[in-house]
Amino acid sequence: MAQSISKGKAIKEWRLYFFVIPSLILVLVFSYFPAASAVYHSFFDWAGGDTKQLIGWDNFKRALGDSVLWSSFVTVFILIVANVFKMIPSIFVAVMVHRLKSDRWQYWYRVLLVIPMIVPALVTLFIWKFFFDPNLGVLNKVMDFTGMKNLLVGLDGVFGWNLFLDGIPIAWLSEPRLIIPSLILWGFPWIGVVGVLIYLAGLQSISTDIYEAADLDGVSGFQKFVHIEFPLILTQIRLMLILLVIATIQGYGLQLLLLGDSGGPGGRGMVPGLWMYNRAFIAGEFGYACAIGMILFVFILSLTYIQNKYVRIDK
Amino acid sequence: MSAEPIRTLGSHKQRDWPKHMAIWAILAIDLLPFYMMVQISFKDNTTFNLNPWFPTNPLTWVWSNWTYGMELIGPYIANTVFVAVTTTTVTLFLAIMAAYFFARYKMPFSSVLWSAFIVLMLMPAVANIVPLFALLKDLGLLNTLWAIIIVGVSVGQVFNLFVLRNFIEDLPKDLFEAAEMDGANHFQQVMNIVIPMSGPIIGTLAILAFLRTWNEFLLPLIILRDQELFTLGVGLIYLDGEYVKQWGKIMAAFFIASIPLIIIFLFTMKLFVRGLSAGAIKG
Repeated sequence: MAQSISKGKAIKEWRLYFFVIPSLILVLVFSYFPAASAVYHSFFDWAGGDTKQLIGWDNFKRALGDSVLWSSFVTVFILIVANVFKMIPSIFVAVMVHRLKSDRWQYWYRVLLVIPMIVPALVTLFIWKFFFDPNLGVLNKVMDFTGMKNLLVGLDGVFGWNLFLDGIPIAWLSEPRLIIPSLILWGFPWIGVVGVLIYLAGLQSISTDIYEAADLDGVSGFQKFVHIEFPLILTQIRLMLILLVIATIQGYGLQLLLLGDSGGPGGRGMVPGLWMYNRAFIAGEFGYACAIGMILFVFILSLTYIQNKYVRIDK
Repeated sequence: MSAEPIRTLGSHKQRDWPKHMAIWAILAIDLLPFYMMVQISFKDNTTFNLNPWFPTNPLTWVWSNWTYGMELIGPYIANTVFVAVTTTTVTLFLAIMAAYFFARYKMPFSSVLWSAFIVLMLMPAVANIVPLFALLKDLGLLNTLWAIIIVGVSVGQVFNLFVLRNFIEDLPKDLFEAAEMDGANHFQQVMNIVIPMSGPIIGTLAILAFLRTWNEFLLPLIILRDQELFTLGVGLIYLDGEYVKQWGKIMAAFFIASIPLIIIFLFTMKLFVRGLSAGAIKG
C-alpha cells in the first residue's frame, strides 16, 4: 500500500502531481473525450466535419428498424456460442501438457505453442484467407485428400443443400451460406496460447500427491479431469470466457479483413462493430455510427455487469 | 522392494506416449500456417501448383521472392519499428511515472484519479474509434505516424499503470527513505530505484506493448493515406488486395514481417511466455 501522508507534507510534495499529469491528460483527451463525443454525436446528423444537425433520437429510432444491425447481432451471437466451444481444445491441450511427467517437455511444448504468436496476427489471418481460397487453398485440398469432401457431397445429396457438389471446389468465402461456417472454422484447431498458458498456471497448483492418490484408487483420466483439474482451473476458464465474449462482441477485424467492409457476399459476415465501421468510414454517417457504437457500448456494459454478478471470479 | 519405484517410473513413461502423440498431432495442425508460409516463400507459382505441400530442393529455392518481399515490405517494417519502439518506450515511461505517484504516497485526490484510470478498464472502447478519427482530424494528425503513437501511448496507460502500481507498492519502503535521506528527488528515485528494480516486469510489459503495436491495423488503416507512411498492418492489407496471385512473394513478405518478432522471441523466450500469461488480465 501507498504510505499515508500528512496534509503539510503533501503540499510540500506538490511536484509529485507532475508525475501523473501526462498520463491523465492523454487519457482524458484520447479516451474520455472520444467516449463523451460519441454520446453527444449520436444525437446528431453528422458527417465527421464541422456541420452537424441535432436530430434527437432519430439515429436510435433508425437503428431499431435497421435490419442489417439486427441480423448482425444474430451473427455475433452465433459466433459467441461457437467461440465458447472453441475454448475446449485449449483446455484439453493444457491438461495434457500438465499431465506429462517430464518438466522439460512441458517447457518445450509451451515454447512450441507460443510460436504462432510470433507471426503477426494479420499474417495468420491472411494465411487463413489463402487456406480458404477455392482453387489453390489448402483447406479444399485437405477436404479432398481426407475424403471429407465426399462425405459433405453425400450429405448434400441427402439434405439437398446444393452447397457441396462433386468436382466443384467449395467456395468458402464467396458462398453466402458458408460464410458463418468459415468464420467458425477459422483458426482450427483453435488453440489460444494465452488461454493454454493461463490454464497451465492454474493447474500448477495441483500437487503430485493428489495424482498419486488418484492413481492408487484407479481413477480414470476423464474422472481426474472432472474432479481434480476442472474445478481448479474454473476461475481461469471463467476469466477467459468473459474476455472472449466481450472481445467477440466488439471485434470486427477478422470480418473486415476476411470478408471486406460490407461483410462479404450477402453481408452474411456482418457484425455490429463492422456495421459501425461501415457506416462511419464508408457511408460517412458518423452520427449514426456513434449511435450504433452507443448501443453496442450499453450492450457490452450490461453483459459485463451480468457476468460479474452471476459468473463470479473468486481470486 | 527396490524394483518398485523403477517400475512405476517406467509405467508413467509408457503412459505418457499417447499424450505426446496427441500434443504433436495438435501442434502439427496448429503450426501448419507457419510451415506453409515458410515453404511456399521459396516457390514460384508453377512449383507451388505442382507441389503445394512439401519443401522443394534448396538448390531450386526462388530467392527472388525474398528480395522482392524485402523491397515491398521493408519500408513498412521500418515505419512499424519506429512506431512500436516509440510507443513502447513512451507508454512505459509515462506509466512508470504515474504508477510511482500512486504507489509512493496517498496524495490528496489520488484515489479519485486512480478511479479515473481504472474505470476505463471496464468501459468498452468500441464506440471511440469514430470520434477519435474526427479528433485526430481536428488536431491535424491524420496521415501521420504520430497519431498512431500518441493514441497507442494513451490506450496503453491504464493496463500498464495497473500492473506497475501494484509492483512498485511491493518494493521495500526503506529504499525510498534512504534515497530521500541522501537528497534524491522523486525523479531520481524513479530512475535509480524503481526502474532498476522492476527489470523483469518492465520487460514483460514492453513485450506486450510491442506486440500490441506490431499487430495494430485498424487505426492505421483509417488514418494513413500515403504509402510511404504505411505501417505493417496497412501494408499487408494493401498487399493482400494487390498481388493476389503471387503466393511465393506474398509468403516471403509475410515471413519478413515476422522476423522482428522472431528475433525478440529468441532472445526473451522466458519473458515472452510469462508476458502472454500476464496479458490476459488486461480486459
